[in-house]
Amino acid sequence: MSAETLTRPAAITRDAIRDLFDDYYATLDDVRLHDWPDFFTEDCLYRVIPRENYEAGYTLCTMQAESRGMLKDRVTGLTRTQMYAPRYYRRFPTAPRIVAEGEGPDAKPYVQVRHNLLLVQTLIDKTSDIVLSAVCHDKVVVDEGRLRFVERIVVFDSEMIPNSLVYPA
Amino acid sequence: MNISVRPPEGRVWPADADAAVPYWVYTDPETYAEELRKIWYGPHWLYVGLECELPNVGDWKTTTLGEKPVVMVRSAEGEISVVENRCAHKGVKFCQARFGHSQELICPYHQWSYALNGDLQGVPFRRGVKRQGGMPADFDLSQNGLNRLRVEEVNGVVWATFSDETPAFREYLGEKFWKHYTRVYDGRKLEVLGYNRQHIPANWKQMQENIKDPYHAGLLHVFFATFGLFRADQKSAVDIDDEGRHGILISRKGEQEKTEAMADIRNFQGDLVLEDPRVMDVVQEFPGEETVGMITIFPSVILQQQVNSLTTRQIVPKGVGGFDFHWTHWCYADDTPEMRLRRTRQANLFGPAGFVSADDGEVLEMTQQGACGSPDEHFILQMGGREIAPTDHQVTETAVRGMYRYWRKVMGL
Repeated sequence: MSAETLTRPAAITRDAIRDLFDDYYATLDDVRLHDWPDFFTEDCLYRVIPRENYEAGYTLCTMQAESRGMLKDRVTGLTRTQMYAPRYYRRFPTAPRIVAEGEGPDAKPYVQVRHNLLLVQTLIDKTSDIVLSAVCHDKVVVDEGRLRFVERIVVFDSEMIPNSLVYPA
Repeated sequence: MNISVRPPEGRVWPADADAAVPYWVYTDPETYAEELRKIWYGPHWLYVGLECELPNVGDWKTTTLGEKPVVMVRSAEGEISVVENRCAHKGVKFCQARFGHSQELICPYHQWSYALNGDLQGVPFRRGVKRQGGMPADFDLSQNGLNRLRVEEVNGVVWATFSDETPAFREYLGEKFWKHYTRVYDGRKLEVLGYNRQHIPANWKQMQENIKDPYHAGLLHVFFATFGLFRADQKSAVDIDDEGRHGILISRKGEQEKTEAMADIRNFQGDLVLEDPRVMDVVQEFPGEETVGMITIFPSVILQQQVNSLTTRQIVPKGVGGFDFHWTHWCYADDTPEMRLRRTRQANLFGPAGFVSADDGEVLEMTQQGACGSPDEHFILQMGGREIAPTDHQVTETAVRGMYRYWRKVMGL
């Protein structure tokens, strides 16, 4: 989080949404994984799902979390239990497009945002590879005085993941 | 594709025949070509898909067996056909989508049309145009259909073979593995929960070996070991069929506790606590005390029952140095919504981003990297001794030895 974002009054403006995404992707690109769950509300839904499952109405996801706690568990799993070759991930999002506004079941206003995402991986001695080519469907709310994702669904076209999807999108 | 830098002259096998395997089995293109002929297109049943993927007559699914593209199609009520996805005319792979529905199969190039069972029905301009051209008078539609494979649908799973010599599926499994198979595939209707697909840059046999190797499971998979889902000090067993080709790892869930056996695991995380433990919400659903049954059916598939996660993991070889890995997660059609959710949650443990199985893909790639430069060296296969027999513990590579003994027999090496 930049200091500027913290001092801005919390309202779901186009600028504020843009700042949220800038911060979000900078955090992930810098592999500050422990800061990542804080971009989500406590009762969030996070999904990275193959397009074929999404379109068929299948709920099975490549990565899923049904709460901020599960996102933290993902970080713990990643940093303390998983083994993987060292790599860089870099994310190339397009500008967010506001597609809908509404009120959640708790009468909390949300803004629905859509953008495309390329996730590029570089392994030692290898050329860079696209891990995911995706469209992100996000719902943004004001939560504890800042913008957070209450829902983030990353739907990826990629038919074949090059081995592993290690870090989140 | 990885080309071996030092081709194996004469393909020498180590003297310690059952307990060592040369690295050229992962890297030699000639060996790979022979494997396709003798194993994948030979007398073996290959996994094609689940019966429930094709609910209606005319539904089809494309997949690849060995390197041959095929179509699995519900060709009539109560009948599933598997035909090669290669037009009899010019060899076009005519079905390009993963799934589809049609009344017949038509090649887009010259519009040759086939019945759902692969019979050739129509050839445009067969009699020519205005008495000019056309196919020869002796061209026989019935002799030019799609190549049809032998098919067996067994408790919701569709198997196919290219060979006439393959014994019936139950005989191919053997009675012991029939029992293991029907523990989970017990005749109840199945339903798809979704797919995961990944390409692993390692020789296809490595995936079979990985699931035949319980030695690694409690060591590499710290997540498993930590939460007691699969650990070295649990009561467990390895079973193999009489031929040595199929295997099963049987285990039961333990607890998160530090024991003497865990002292060998350097990175055991005894203090690790989940913030939201719903991913570990496991219920016992199969008879007996076992909670894990990982079956390897040689050569094409792994049938996974890890607590409540039920999955088929299909291996599609892509050259000597890589394979595609297709995961089909399923549930029983009469599962409660809670059970479906539980299975979907546990899917976080598996697949290309799984807490457990992402490790496998990574380490198989590293194994291939290590093997590439030294095809004439060999790896050690002595854990648990040199025996090839079922065991009642996990500290063994017996099932891997069994697979290579069978592999050598089939390959004539």
